[in-house]
Amino acid sequence: MERTRKEIERAEASWKEEVVEPRVARFKIPASPTRFYTPASQRDFDFLEKVGFPGQYPFTAGNHAFEAWRAYAEAGARLGVRPDYGASSAGRYGGYGTAEDYRDYLRAMQQRGSRGGPNVAFDLVTQCGFDSDSPNALGEVGRVGVAIDTYRDFRVIYEAFTGERDIDQVASNFTINAPCAIILAMLAALAEERGIPLAKLRGTPQNDILKEFIARGTYIYPPRESMRLFRDTLVFCRRHMPRMNVNSIGGYHIREAGATREQDLAFSLANGIAYLKEGVEAGLEIDDFASKFTFNAFGGSMQVYHEIAFQRAARRMWARIVKERFGATDPHAMMVRQPIGAHVGCTSTTLQRPLNNIARSVIGGMACGMSGGSMPAAYPPYDEPLGLGHSQESIQLQLDATRIMIYEAGISDVADPWAGSYFMESLTDEIESAAAEEVDRIESMGGAVGAIENGYMPRAVAQSAYERQKRVEQMEDFVVGVNCFTGENELDLSLNRGVEKLYDPEHLRSAEERQLAKLAAVKRERSQGDVSRSLRALEQSAKDPEASVMPALIDCVKSEATLQEMCDVMRGVFGEAEPTKL
Amino acid sequence: MSTDRKIRVLVAKPGLDGHDRGARVIAYGLRDAGFEVIYTGLRQSPEQIAREAIQEDVDAVGLSILSGAHMALTGRVLELLREQGAEDIPVLVGGLIPEEDQQALRKMGVAGVFTAGTPIGEVAEFIASHVVVA
Amino acid sequence: MVIASWQDLVERTLAGEPRALARLVTLVENRAPGWREAMKTLYPRTGRARILGITGSPGAGKSSLTNRLAAGFVERGHRVGVIAVDPSSPFSGGALLGDRLRMKDVATAEGVFIRSMATRGSLGGLCQGARDVGRVLDAAGYDLVLIETVGVGQDEIDVVRAADLVMMICVPGQGDGIQAIKAGVMEIADVFVVNKCDRDGADQVEADIRGMLALAGDEPGDVETVFQTDSLSGRGVPDLLDALAARIERACDPERGLRRARDEVLGLVEGEIAQRVRTWIEDGERLGSCVERIRSRRSDPYSAAESLIADFDRVGADPHE
Repeated sequence: MERTRKEIERAEASWKEEVVEPRVARFKIPASPTRFYTPASQRDFDFLEKVGFPGQYPFTAGNHAFEAWRAYAEAGARLGVRPDYGASSAGRYGGYGTAEDYRDYLRAMQQRGSRGGPNVAFDLVTQCGFDSDSPNALGEVGRVGVAIDTYRDFRVIYEAFTGERDIDQVASNFTINAPCAIILAMLAALAEERGIPLAKLRGTPQNDILKEFIARGTYIYPPRESMRLFRDTLVFCRRHMPRMNVNSIGGYHIREAGATREQDLAFSLANGIAYLKEGVEAGLEIDDFASKFTFNAFGGSMQVYHEIAFQRAARRMWARIVKERFGATDPHAMMVRQPIGAHVGCTSTTLQRPLNNIARSVIGGMACGMSGGSMPAAYPPYDEPLGLGHSQESIQLQLDATRIMIYEAGISDVADPWAGSYFMESLTDEIESAAAEEVDRIESMGGAVGAIENGYMPRAVAQSAYERQKRVEQMEDFVVGVNCFTGENELDLSLNRGVEKLYDPEHLRSAEERQLAKLAAVKRERSQGDVSRSLRALEQSAKDPEASVMPALIDCVKSEATLQEMCDVMRGVFGEAEPTKL
Repeated sequence: MSTDRKIRVLVAKPGLDGHDRGARVIAYGLRDAGFEVIYTGLRQSPEQIAREAIQEDVDAVGLSILSGAHMALTGRVLELLREQGAEDIPVLVGGLIPEEDQQALRKMGVAGVFTAGTPIGEVAEFIASHVVVA
Repeated sequence: MVIASWQDLVERTLAGEPRALARLVTLVENRAPGWREAMKTLYPRTGRARILGITGSPGAGKSSLTNRLAAGFVERGHRVGVIAVDPSSPFSGGALLGDRLRMKDVATAEGVFIRSMATRGSLGGLCQGARDVGRVLDAAGYDLVLIETVGVGQDEIDVVRAADLVMMICVPGQGDGIQAIKAGVMEIADVFVVNKCDRDGADQVEADIRGMLALAGDEPGDVETVFQTDSLSGRGVPDLLDALAARIERACDPERGLRRARDEVLGLVEGEIAQRVRTWIEDGERLGSCVERIRSRRSDPYSAAESLIADFDRVGADPHE
């Protein structure tokens, strides 16, 4: 029979007095450095309400009874399958240089056995709605991703996906936000050109403009106008590309920008709510479109326990919001669908003694394994902070660490192993309640858009980043090899080997030149009349708040209007976003 | 009444990189170290940066770049400062700068490169030690 | 690098060198040696510029609107100086000067000079600093100087007293509305702007302002005083520019000019004497010996002050005594 709460509290009180205090006194420290949790640590713990079962609302314990990857884990090990992606997922995130460079890279990966679709990183010029010949493009063309100025470029990428690997057979991921509508228009035009029904296309555009204002900075138009574009992409996807995911909501970026865990969760939820509202206001059925929302990943940190609790709280909160606030009935609409679960986050890795990042990434993987969801990836690879790209070696170590956790440690053999833990349930509740308070605060400011317009969210993140910096500098937070254990007796393990590149850096250097030549050629060869006409039509539909810009964009794309030409027309109608003051 | 001379620093992000965590943290930190920080934020062209540096008569220019475009952008800023007779203003670069590029930047005329993990105090001291007392 | 003399900087500023102008501004702002001489040399060359003070609470969009106005005035052929003020941290003495961030349109414009200034903590100190820097810009050929203030505290009310024309910016939805505007600012402002006019409540704010002006006895004259703008889209800005341009064309009120000169001289004299007294008091044990007696209640602050003032008078304010 269970002891009563009172009995436990009494026992705890006397334990503190008889066992803890004397020990604290003996070691002459102000207080005990550890905590201990008991059944009395939580009030009203209702297992079915708070946790339930994996695969059932509120999904605290996980989205599914078991994950898809787990079903085939042992078989995969026996066959030595590298998780270099089946056709149902997009391949490794990449992209650089011109579309030709990226296409050739994709072909090289296919030679090595990759079966995934393009997981496209675009350069900043493209992400910010400029062309490669813009003065804003100095130094940036093809650098953090592939340069896309026109449909011609986009089409070149997909020369690597034909025949059995045509675009209806692979999933395409686009890390694109502000000009997402244009990239989707290019995809639609390509499908039409190839005679492939749009309804067969699969993939995920990032399409999360709100976090750009908070954390990532590649916005173009003001928040309200940006939401109009989101609405247009949402409706277009639901109507014409029903198999495409609509977005990839990124708490990850918000956390990496310095947000606290609670802010990451709250701001992501607030953004998600804003996107859901767009769908509802556009007359879509919640069960239909919410089930196509995804999350990029929330952020992570080195605090294992907290990140486990975080994932549980996130799943529960999103499910509650979609079900109770928006009235969804389909479980798929309530799930946090994300490709990565808990992890440590790139800002948790250090440039100093980088091999330590292996240990760090494993801790993140453990948190993932113990909080359910994706494969417990040991992310990121240890050379992440070097800024030279991931080497073959670091990728291998990452894969092996992941495998060791799965197959040797059995970390994913139990769903939500911490369910019912006095500590973990308290922690989950705490994170949830702090995040809920933030969400309410944001709602009182007019929701995510209001909390961006008044600068609240971006400033809160900057403030948290600063506070973390101060804590590290004052050694309130410890970072091994950075602010502690840096004495002369420590081995400063550095990497001496060269990094084998999967691509040719010389090629990257000439990318800007080659791209400019291509762009000039397009401008010479296209019909200026068609371009002007299509841009005028775009302006018309942009000006009409009830219209969708998608049909006009598809025409612009086909007429070979450049990305900037299209974005400039919309700049003329929507204006440009103002930067946030500190 | 004479006011104490304040050290003035321009903190800017040239190019299109939108990751401003480092720039913001440095801005707050230098403010708390007693500096006057002119923070111009994202998407600054080299032309804007050079002009701002001169108009604000700053003691140092801090560029934060994480997109890999640091060579071209820094080069252009240094060029413009030189053209406008302000090559004496020290330029500091922070962000994601690989080791070999750090040396190249210094050769170009950058006064200091500060990558992740550098304490704010170190940056503040560096700037203070490079200030020409007028 | 050679440290330039104030004469050198003045000469090169008048010859049109931007860097010299900036360094002259620093010299004057810092009250560095030679600053008074520089101001005396420049003063005869001032008087052409019109000073527009721009105030309003944080979040009203002062910087965005200043950006638009500066751009508009440049288009109309003016050379525009902008002084953007932000508060200094009372703890560290440093400051985050972030107004320029909103002034992209004019950041590289030929006829625009933007300078960010921190309040540096002293009451009345800013007024003088901004006014002097405004004069430097005036002498350097900028015929319009926009001074954008912080909008809280006492300093900016002093600053707007130094301006020929004062513009007050409000936004809809700021809690208590117009009632929250500090007494004194309503009297000082010449033009009222309701910014972010695309928001709900803009018309109400305009009505409130007109109501308060009517109560204050302002006659609805031939010149419009209340405007609505949206600095993000630019809506309403051309009309505002027209109105401001018209006022700038008209001669300045001589009464106002006299009053300002009087206030300024008094301020300078007061500031100087206060500094001398302070230096004299803080020198040696004068203050130290009083405060201990005050703390232990053997004396009181009032008697102590009286006694110090009597000493100072006797001594004739010779700082070497």
